[in-house]
Amino acid sequence: MLWLALVFPDWPLQALFRNQAHAQPLAVAERQRVLALDAAALAQGVRAGQGLADALAVAPTLLVRPRSGDAECRALRDAAGCALRYTPGVVLETDGLLMEIAGSVKLFGGLDPLLRQVRSDLAAAGFRALSACAPAPRAARWLARGAPGRCVTDIGALPAALAPLPLQSMEIDARMHALLADSGAQKVGDVMQLPRDALARRDAAGVRRMIDQALGRLADPRSYFEMPRRIDGRLELPVPRYDVDVLLFAANRLLNACCSQLAAVHAGIESCQLELEHEHHPPTSLILTLGTPSRDARRMALLAREHLARLALPEAVSALRLQADGWVSLTGGTADLFGTQAPAPGQRREAGVLLVEHLRARLGRDRVHALSACADHRPERAQRRTDPGRSLPAQARDRRPLWLLPSPQLLRVVDGRPLRGGPLQLISGPERIESGWWDADDTASRGDALRDYFVAVGPGYERLWIFREHVPPYCWYLHGLFA
Amino acid sequence: MTALSLAAQLRHPAVWCAGDEVQPPHPCIPTGHAALDAALPGGGWPVGEMTELLTDCCGHGELSLLLPLMVNASNTTNAGEADRRDCWLAWVAPPHAPGLSALAAAGLHTSRLLLIEAGTAGERAWSLRQALRSAACTVVVGWLDRIDGAMLRRLQLAVREAAIPLILFRPASEARSASPAAVRLLLSASAPGVLRIDILKRRGRPASQPIHLSSGCAATPQPTATAASQHRPGATTPALALIA
Repeated sequence: MLWLALVFPDWPLQALFRNQAHAQPLAVAERQRVLALDAAALAQGVRAGQGLADALAVAPTLLVRPRSGDAECRALRDAAGCALRYTPGVVLETDGLLMEIAGSVKLFGGLDPLLRQVRSDLAAAGFRALSACAPAPRAARWLARGAPGRCVTDIGALPAALAPLPLQSMEIDARMHALLADSGAQKVGDVMQLPRDALARRDAAGVRRMIDQALGRLADPRSYFEMPRRIDGRLELPVPRYDVDVLLFAANRLLNACCSQLAAVHAGIESCQLELEHEHHPPTSLILTLGTPSRDARRMALLAREHLARLALPEAVSALRLQADGWVSLTGGTADLFGTQAPAPGQRREAGVLLVEHLRARLGRDRVHALSACADHRPERAQRRTDPGRSLPAQARDRRPLWLLPSPQLLRVVDGRPLRGGPLQLISGPERIESGWWDADDTASRGDALRDYFVAVGPGYERLWIFREHVPPYCWYLHGLFA
Repeated sequence: MTALSLAAQLRHPAVWCAGDEVQPPHPCIPTGHAALDAALPGGGWPVGEMTELLTDCCGHGELSLLLPLMVNASNTTNAGEADRRDCWLAWVAPPHAPGLSALAAAGLHTSRLLLIEAGTAGERAWSLRQALRSAACTVVVGWLDRIDGAMLRRLQLAVREAAIPLILFRPASEARSASPAAVRLLLSASAPGVLRIDILKRRGRPASQPIHLSSGCAATPQPTATAASQHRPGATTPALALIA
């Protein structure tokens, strides 16, 4: 087994302020005392453990937030979502993660490339992490805390690697820390030297057990984290904003996290909901519909961009929330040996679906459509709009115009001849179409068609498809153009 | 300089004769009309280039001109082009609804038709660009009223990368304004059922003669018993009034 420990320094601070760029110094407080702070605050003289009043006196611009266990939990789950792409064995710790990576090293091309990828993935999600590898989970954590960057792969080398770590890298409480320090121990190696029975007599048998676990001599079972089967990511903006670019950037981050979470469980989503929260208004909600199950963040971002560009916001957006239910299992594509994939028929179809979604996102759903044939003799009812890809093929008919007017257009008649910019000359016909008596009781739109169709030539040599109703008052209508 | 030495000079590879035929980079798609094929460089609609059809009329056979191209593009039985089944024929902002029966009669697979209603010039140009860029279309046809030169140039760039034909219908009044299109045809009617094509612009030698096409659908069909009256044998032949 090989464990990769990730420790997030200043975790309460990171969990609250990750993804946000602040100009002011930041701090997180618990019970009116400073718990964690950033470099800017440290430079102004704020110290951990300081009273809140003192800290604000030293740094008046300090932005203080109370510690939020809820935010920490959520952030940790987000980080686990990123980590699950690399291994199914992820363990949540209070301020970090443990990943069992023995099986993944070869797949990702060695330990170094794997570590680099994990680190850049976490950085993209806004996390700052210290890492270390060791054959035992506890040893990995201690190394990450005391000597970040160390990679110990051989269990025999563990005692030598752990011995020089400071006491603070052990996960022990303040009382135990004081006890060990009072007994003259400054390094983990010193604690290893202390006799077992002496430690047990001083109520510190736990420390000895932890050391045994760290050295891999005692079992250290961990339970793996399992992803809940729904996506719910939220991102608060530092300042409420209107700009599409800023919103898109934030949405991108949420979508990236969502997609790596989906990749971890080999699933895809067909639609997701992006909520834009306002301070004084109910949230504006966008539904991103993908058409086919997908976990392609770029594709979702493209749709989000079209939606955001069209949106009229009632107020600046203070936070974004991404939710998705209903996962569909989705196998991954096979990558080509040379990086790019040859366009397969399936990809053409995918591109076609994507084009329709993209156009619909900007123009509106009903303005991008296909035409489907219907079994009806009335030309205006022989075809109807339908979703692209769902249309039925039409039946071929002679003497039908290429352009069909949506509804017949009444023509002026002089001396019994129809006019359209001049008298029309009939060159062929009639073709009688009588149909639709079953719709006749629909008084508003006389469904019953009793028509004689002619092909006519207008004064500008244009060829028209006109008809005369053979019921009084024998009106003439223009219905199509032979374009 | 004698005529002989001039001819020798003209054979120099650096000399381009204005009368020469120009071979376009992509193989063209035959228009289906022999007279037009002969007049267009490459023998058909240019691929990866913009073609402008300038016309004010509606009902002169201007859309029938494109039918062979679109039938070819929607044809799924072509050897080696099995993935065309999933490709669109994109029509951006057509002026009316296309009649499916007429398209089917020409042999077009109507289920491959994608109609995009876009209002403003910006929306139309954007939709055209998306259709070109998506690699999901075999032909893109657009109807534009007013569009500025910058938008046209952007379309030209998009179609170069897409390597499919882009056909734009524009009003005849645009004939005087400049355009990056490779082929510009002015369409008008010269007689009933005859489409007159003036080639305003093409690669190579300019054209002098207009082409007169009597389009297939322009042939006067004979009045026969109609489908609907066949369905109702009881219906009497309607009296043709003395209007015709």
